[in-house]
Amino acid sequence: MSTVTRETRLNAAFVKLADTLIDDYDIVDLLHTLVEECTAIFDVQAGGLMLADADGQLQLVASTSEKADLVEIMQLNAGQGPCVECFKTGKPVAIADIAHSGDSWPAFRTEALKQGFHSIYATPLRLRGQTIGTLNLLSTSVGDLNARDALAAQALSDVATIGILQERLAKERGIVADQLQRALDSRVLIEQAKGVLSELASINVDEAFNAMRGYARSHNMRLHDVADGIVGRTISIVPSALG
Amino acid sequence: MSPGAGENFSRSDSNPDRSLSARFVAELPISGASISVVVESGQQSTISVSDALAARIDDLQFALGEGPHWDALRHGSPVLVPNLLAVGGEVWPMLTSAITEFGVGALFAFPLRTGAVTIGVVDLYRSTVEPLTEREVTEAVALARDVAPRALQFAITLANDETPPTNGLAVEMRREVHQATGMILVQLEIDATEAFARLRAHAFASGITIQEVANDVVQRRLNFRDLPE
Repeated sequence: MSTVTRETRLNAAFVKLADTLIDDYDIVDLLHTLVEECTAIFDVQAGGLMLADADGQLQLVASTSEKADLVEIMQLNAGQGPCVECFKTGKPVAIADIAHSGDSWPAFRTEALKQGFHSIYATPLRLRGQTIGTLNLLSTSVGDLNARDALAAQALSDVATIGILQERLAKERGIVADQLQRALDSRVLIEQAKGVLSELASINVDEAFNAMRGYARSHNMRLHDVADGIVGRTISIVPSALG
Repeated sequence: MSPGAGENFSRSDSNPDRSLSARFVAELPISGASISVVVESGQQSTISVSDALAARIDDLQFALGEGPHWDALRHGSPVLVPNLLAVGGEVWPMLTSAITEFGVGALFAFPLRTGAVTIGVVDLYRSTVEPLTEREVTEAVALARDVAPRALQFAITLANDETPPTNGLAVEMRREVHQATGMILVQLEIDATEAFARLRAHAFASGITIQEVANDVVQRRLNFRDLPE
């Protein structure tokens, strides 16, 4: 991506995210938008955002694709991979060449290479010295993110952190943990709704996700509320509307 | 407290984790707490109690089949009874007469949820007649949300003899399990809570893991419509 296009795109992404934060937004939807914008701006092919649950276990909350293969890479990444190292150290982890990254993460390395990914950049979501998750960008080519892109990735990750914490303006104790758990639980509800929709419309679960997101957009609803309506069977998205 | 209190407390309290219920007692102005989870269709296990009276109340709600616990489980929303004697006599007569003698003033029940599935209930009691403030209710809901994944893991481990994973995702967070729950609820025209119970019951009966059953459902190798009742 040329420098001008990249800067324009980066500015546009910040404007878009800031606009979202002003409205009554859906956190999972916001994080999806963020991951999509990041992959476009930094010219990588896939991305995923992980949040830590109460046990410090990283869970995939948003990714550029809902397809099982990318989800699998991200889950391996969260079990033993650059993602978990980034989370533990609170510092970015850049693997410029996954094929020559040693034996630290055999399962992740094998799966990433099998799917054609050769480099990964993981950046922490930080809040006052605490790391609450990581943003992971996967590229099909070998090489590092340059220093400027790394800064931009950190800035976008900080926006995600703000988004998670601002979702509800509560000032209770332990609010960080609660917002995280809320986002993770929202993700569970979305998975249940994907199941309902895929069964009703005879579509794949990843198609079901896109259908739900499209419905949320066109009806100006939060993704969480759409998912809730689908599981509770008060919203029906008919197959003909799926495109 | 009567000498017999807790004698029926054998519904598989084999693995009680006091710390889960202790958190509610530490953070809220209540006297005691118990946490129970749905193990499979119609069966529940108490996984944590803070004290003997909490265990006794829990026991009685199970034995009598009435109380705020059941309403929270059924409706998936909190049930607040700040004055048990005033309200409970009408709605839960047996429970009320059984426990007011122990000096229980108020009962509060909060469902443990994972997405749309109710996986269990946190039962709180207070020795005084006094409501929880709005802020305290918010906090109790947040605490319930926080302990829900742990409670679910307990329930699955208890029901299926599955060892908790040491590496990778905890079983309850694997996406296929939730997706399969959604598919089963359509296949059987039931709600999410019941669908999840069926999923687990099938795994248990077949001697395979919940994850394996879920994979079969999502891959459309298994349809719960085709299973015998």
